[in-house]
Amino acid sequence: MSPHEFRVLVVDDDPDMQSFLVRMLQAEGMRADAVADGDAALLHSIASPPDLVLLDVLLPGVDGFSVCQRLKDEPATAMVPVVLVTALEDQDSRVRGIRAGADDFLSKPVQREELLARVQTLRRLHETRRELEARRMDAEVQRKEMLRKAFTRYISPRLAERIISDLAEEGTPFQRGAQRVSVVALFADLRGFTRLTESTQVDEVVGLLNEYFAVITEAAYRHEGTIFSMAGDNLLVGFNVPFPQADAAALAWRTAQDMARSVRPVLERWRQGLATGVGFGLATGDAIIGNIGSPHYMSYTIVGDAVNVAARLVEMARPGELLVSGPALQAAGQATSAQSRGRLTLRGRREPVDVYAAVL
Amino acid sequence: MAENNHKVTVARDLEDLIPVFMKNRHKELDTLRVALAAADFEQLRQLGHRMKGVGVSYGFDHVSTLGKHIEDGARSGDRASLEAAITDYADYLGKVQIEYE
Repeated sequence: MSPHEFRVLVVDDDPDMQSFLVRMLQAEGMRADAVADGDAALLHSIASPPDLVLLDVLLPGVDGFSVCQRLKDEPATAMVPVVLVTALEDQDSRVRGIRAGADDFLSKPVQREELLARVQTLRRLHETRRELEARRMDAEVQRKEMLRKAFTRYISPRLAERIISDLAEEGTPFQRGAQRVSVVALFADLRGFTRLTESTQVDEVVGLLNEYFAVITEAAYRHEGTIFSMAGDNLLVGFNVPFPQADAAALAWRTAQDMARSVRPVLERWRQGLATGVGFGLATGDAIIGNIGSPHYMSYTIVGDAVNVAARLVEMARPGELLVSGPALQAAGQATSAQSRGRLTLRGRREPVDVYAAVL
Repeated sequence: MAENNHKVTVARDLEDLIPVFMKNRHKELDTLRVALAAADFEQLRQLGHRMKGVGVSYGFDHVSTLGKHIEDGARSGDRASLEAAITDYADYLGKVQIEYE
């Protein structure tokens, strides 16, 4: 079947009428299939919706009115035009046909010219509708592309694709209210940047920061991280949110390594001895994720213990160092890659935390 | 029935369908006779309705005309009219001359 073939289903219990209609349609370059009763018409139409149905009214079993009504009730065939082909001349039959959803009528005996004129008109309508549908699809693709571009300023392109494809679904992450989830929080903080800004022009500072964030953001996206905040020279990346990631802690670890490696040449080009490197803090635990704020200002963010611990760890991390909580280290499968710093009491937290350090 | 009713002009592109069409008309005539003998007016009405629908499409206008008579006669239970129409149909099928163009 060619992609633009116009397909007509002829429904008539009279074999001569069937043959006549099929012959006329085929002569016009259309594909015509024929069935002889209402049940077969329904089965055929629903299994493979045609572009047009020529439907006799008086059929064995289910009559044409009922077939028409069922086709119009069925989502797959609701838009398929139905022409009732009938020798019934009374007004009541026409009214019944209209009520059943018939798009047009053709009187028996069928005149060739009238048949072709009506079918051609419906074919043009069909083609116009298909063209409009194609334009609507194009517009939808463009809209998704704009959304994708907007999302990829905050999250990885793959996550953006997933969110866009889920937009029509109920309960997708950005449609739900806040919820408690297990997260992996990674903070990255640029050491020595404040001192650098003291000796640098304002517009140069912005350029340097943009360069720095471009490098570490790309690293976060390479490992499917989601950026939740960017403040000053500090970046918070979440994993296992907004979508579950089985290897979230390992991804966060690799992200920190990638960030440290990628940012090194940038820092080397900056003024020697001032911007000395990036420190990292990594922790796992429960957090609340969702749209948090007021009706006037809201941000999609994570708050909770994992975020607090990671924030305290990054404060203590030296340039090029990753401080990680014990559970995060275990979850990342990096037990042999870090040295214990002991069980530390972190600011604002009663329970001490096992802290480990790795040089990146 | 006027003599010129026996001459039928059929579109050339339907020529290969005509043998089956004529065979079905003869079968139809037999069924009409049986239905009339049994005074089965519902079947007569349905057969007349079908003849009315198919005749003109193929160029056999008289089949449609007779079909309408049979449908009307069956509705009103007019046996004499039905007998006349069926006799006319038999005569027509025996004499019809088909030309293709």
